[in-house]
Amino acid sequence: MSEIQNPPVDRGQIERALARHKDRMKLYLSHCMHCTLCAESCFMYMSRDKDPQYMPSYKVINSVGVLYRKGPGIGRDDLQKMKGIVWRNCVLCTRCYCPVGVDVPAMIAFARGVLRSQGIHPDFDEQGAMESWL
Amino acid sequence: MGALYAFASGPGVYLAFALFLAGLVVQGLRFYKLTRAKDPLALPPPPAGVVPPASPPARGAGAKKPLLDRLLAAAEAMGRPFDRILGTLCRTVAATHPVMTMLTVTFHALLFATPILLLAHNVLLAESAGFHLPSLPDSVADVMTVLFLLCGAAFLYRRVFLRRVRAITTPYDHFVLVVTLLPFFTGFLAYHQIGEYRTMIALHVVSGEAMLVLVPFTRLGHALFFFLYRFLLDGEYSFGQGRRAF
Repeated sequence: MSEIQNPPVDRGQIERALARHKDRMKLYLSHCMHCTLCAESCFMYMSRDKDPQYMPSYKVINSVGVLYRKGPGIGRDDLQKMKGIVWRNCVLCTRCYCPVGVDVPAMIAFARGVLRSQGIHPDFDEQGAMESWL
Repeated sequence: MGALYAFASGPGVYLAFALFLAGLVVQGLRFYKLTRAKDPLALPPPPAGVVPPASPPARGAGAKKPLLDRLLAAAEAMGRPFDRILGTLCRTVAATHPVMTMLTVTFHALLFATPILLLAHNVLLAESAGFHLPSLPDSVADVMTVLFLLCGAAFLYRRVFLRRVRAITTPYDHFVLVVTLLPFFTGFLAYHQIGEYRTMIALHVVSGEAMLVLVPFTRLGHALFFFLYRFLLDGEYSFGQGRRAF
């Protein structure tokens, strides 16, 4: 892929995007008990043979969790992987339930915003774009 | 070990409780600073006494009704407040995961009840502070400790063997579980004089204090944040009035 189609991550911009709700997101991440009780509340999980990658907790840990773990130094390939998690694996129907009270939809929406700040978002007009997400 | 025990059972206790309480206050204030006041959502109250069916009605003659439907029908026959309580419970994670719900409720109830109602702890409290709380016979506390450890073992089993739980389990999750179980395990061994008593009781005191100190600053913080998130924050699943929002 050419440099124009795959530009490097804009460190300053992603840093600003990550700082916006840092305290709230980090609180949520630290209080997710990894108990998986949220799984059944996700219709994607239920309709995909209970594949763990559709669990709400899996989706936030592997999007927002990775964003904060890697920070502004995150690679574009990581962000591309995240695109599939937060747009294809989640439709943001906001029906997920967390016993502790972690606001999963807010986290997914936040991850989408961070990805958009890097120009990464689904392009529904592009032929075959949907299949190439993951 | 003697010096460690002397510190841990003396100033260490005050230090641990001070850090525990100060940590909870700091985290609580932090939550208040991060959130803002908000008017509660004005939702109409649910219609009285109506419990919608839990699942589509079974079709065909002689079709057996699901257990959930039969439970709800029985609750409705009992009238209020049973229909409300059971109707609500059947729509929560209690119906989706009955075993895990029982495990986690037992685990958390015993986590608080056992150390607070333990006779030995209350004797120490009476000696140092001049007052004590009600206490249970040692045999009862012993059973409670074993039950607690079994619940912990069940959590560990989930983490290791259930595919979905394993998919998101990190070493940190195991660390948190060990931190929680260790005071109970060492206390159990010390009480039954298994292993060298003085070492075991020192480990018991130190691990208990470590757990207290770690509560506000680690994943164990859900002890406080569960109430903040589920009661104070505005949201669909809020137990409270949701007077605050991020």
